[in-house]
Amino acid sequence: MIASAGPNLPLAVLRATGAYAGPLPIDLDKPVTTASDWMESKFAPWAPLALQAWADGDYDHLDRVVFSRADDTAQRFYYYVCELQRRGLVGGPEAILFDVAMIPRQSSLERTEQKVRELADLLGVGDSAIDEAIMPASGAAPSGEQPLCLIAGSPMPDRRLHDAVEAAGFAAAGQTLAQYWGEEAGAVEQGTGEPCAAIARALHASASGPRSFADRADFLADRLARSGAEAAILWRIEEDEAQVWHLPAERRVLEESGVPHLVLTRRDWFARDGAGEEISRFLAEVTT
Amino acid sequence: MSTSANQRSRKTLACTSQATAYQKAFGQELRRRVVEDREPYAIVQADTPHELFHAMDIPIITNQWWSAYISAKQLSNRYFDAMVEKGYPANSCKYCSLGLACTLANDPETAPWGGLPTPTIMVARLTCDCIQHVFGQWAEAMGSEFFPMEAPAWTDKDPQWFAHAKSDWERVYQPDRIALMVREMADLIAVLENRTGRKFDEAKFHHLMEQINVQEGYIWEAAQAIGEARPCPVSIAEQMPNTMIPQWHRGSDWAVAHAKKFRDEVLERIDAGLGASSNEKLRLMWIGAGVWHDPGFYQALEEDPGAVFVWSMYMPFAGPAYIRDLKDKPMEALASRVASMNETLHLPPWMSSWMVSEAKRCGIDAAIMLLPPDNRLSQSGNKLTASALEEAGVPVLMIDADMVDAKSWDHDRMVGMVAQFLGERAPA
Repeated sequence: MIASAGPNLPLAVLRATGAYAGPLPIDLDKPVTTASDWMESKFAPWAPLALQAWADGDYDHLDRVVFSRADDTAQRFYYYVCELQRRGLVGGPEAILFDVAMIPRQSSLERTEQKVRELADLLGVGDSAIDEAIMPASGAAPSGEQPLCLIAGSPMPDRRLHDAVEAAGFAAAGQTLAQYWGEEAGAVEQGTGEPCAAIARALHASASGPRSFADRADFLADRLARSGAEAAILWRIEEDEAQVWHLPAERRVLEESGVPHLVLTRRDWFARDGAGEEISRFLAEVTT
Repeated sequence: MSTSANQRSRKTLACTSQATAYQKAFGQELRRRVVEDREPYAIVQADTPHELFHAMDIPIITNQWWSAYISAKQLSNRYFDAMVEKGYPANSCKYCSLGLACTLANDPETAPWGGLPTPTIMVARLTCDCIQHVFGQWAEAMGSEFFPMEAPAWTDKDPQWFAHAKSDWERVYQPDRIALMVREMADLIAVLENRTGRKFDEAKFHHLMEQINVQEGYIWEAAQAIGEARPCPVSIAEQMPNTMIPQWHRGSDWAVAHAKKFRDEVLERIDAGLGASSNEKLRLMWIGAGVWHDPGFYQALEEDPGAVFVWSMYMPFAGPAYIRDLKDKPMEALASRVASMNETLHLPPWMSSWMVSEAKRCGIDAAIMLLPPDNRLSQSGNKLTASALEEAGVPVLMIDADMVDAKSWDHDRMVGMVAQFLGERAPA
């Protein structure tokens, strides 16, 4: 079985193996013990949990885990696990690093295509299987009677913030970490005869992830418009060091949209800081 | 900050003051070219191929150097506050963003040099998740052009990289990574020629690469001698400026001559039996960036209990990271030099294996490691390196402190902490 960790991965190639188990599961209640001896404090909060799980053998049922170069924590995690395995300190599945290059330049596009092909060769999957495994981009907002609240920003650990939104009478749209890691690169053309090239084009142009060169303010404006949100929460965690640079532009988008919004920055990923209560108070004042 | 902080370091080499004087004059010359003469210039990260700009005689302002310059003028808090006022969170990564903060503050009255004019281009390698956002916004704010360069994944992980980097660099640094970087550098040269009208001279570049090998060879030779010598002739407080200042000007006649002068002074002290301390009993390794705001820290325990910092990364890094057999492929050799600076200093197995090897080479008794609390890039690889050193018999003290933030540093407390650690783990 194969799991994935990080954004901007060629998921169709993984699915084509018939052994893709989805994003690496993260046990949010895992006590971190030995992992804190190996990993420093500024990694994304999922990382020490996953490293502890790796050390405890929780991932031993997996054969391989594919990490993304498009996320700094994910790529460093790969090197840490490889080193711990080399030194005989942990076992577990084989770690693989997928190198995605996203600079809007021909050399980066070709680099990404080369790496998609190398991964396909490593996993022993051919073009026809990959082409069949291409799926449409996801991301449709939930539809229903209730007004929608968009939760944008950092990927959430689970649905705990969704629950706070829903308890206030809104439908919630926002990505958990697993959804973020399991997100398709974008619209991948099917039936081109060269699926690796098609996947590479989609990855290279992806608007998702910290390495994307897409305009983050436009990305948020587009999500607001497509979702028809009647309220919005921009939630960023303390460890978010990339997208946070676009906070001023994102604030402007929210203000210009006229959508009632709440901006929460430097927050605790586990939402132990009262974020749920703040969301409840905010949505109680939003009239729809 | 303790009142005892910012202790000055003792200088024993004549070339140390010469290096700092040269750098001061260089700053004035750079200002003249960039601000007064309005030459085309570039703002670049420290780990970009400076050699291309040197070969084209295009002045560069290195982001890290500019940040240090702003900090030295006590302006960092003012500019970071201005950034927060513009809506950025206060915890945004400060390591590479002080220049952006200075630009966003838009205060020519206080800005060094009255603020920088618009650069022709801004160049950064994408070694972390935030740098493309910092440089992208900085370029936009300055009306300039951002030329990002990939930091491709290094999956051929040879723990003995440092032993093969000089002659077997094609294999060590991975052919596909070198090829990508060479292609990007060709694109960069084309952009520079187009924007500045200056031509890339291949013969000049080739000569520059040869001269860099000569320069770094002198530094490496001195590093080897320091590792073997008892007592250590020169503390890291003097190793650092004599390595780093010439490295900003690598390949220039001055840099080559200065590296030779430094080596010669080191060898003279060894021949004369002179040590940084008259009482050397413990040889220490410093892991992390230099504590620039308190250089006296490194010499505080030299006489009692005789603990001498003989190793920091800057000087011995000159050998494996810089020296390359050119093989008539100078552009590829340069790519191999630039492509892996971050990994070799901050990721296993490269960082940990090299430092264990260096500890053995230099007869290290204990290591002191800086663990900046707020910077993943600087923290990265530290704990695994510490455990590898401990396994190799080298006790390690990790200090939670920042290399640029003097507010969190108390000289007396830090010296006391090291003294206590040495007393417990590495008694003289």
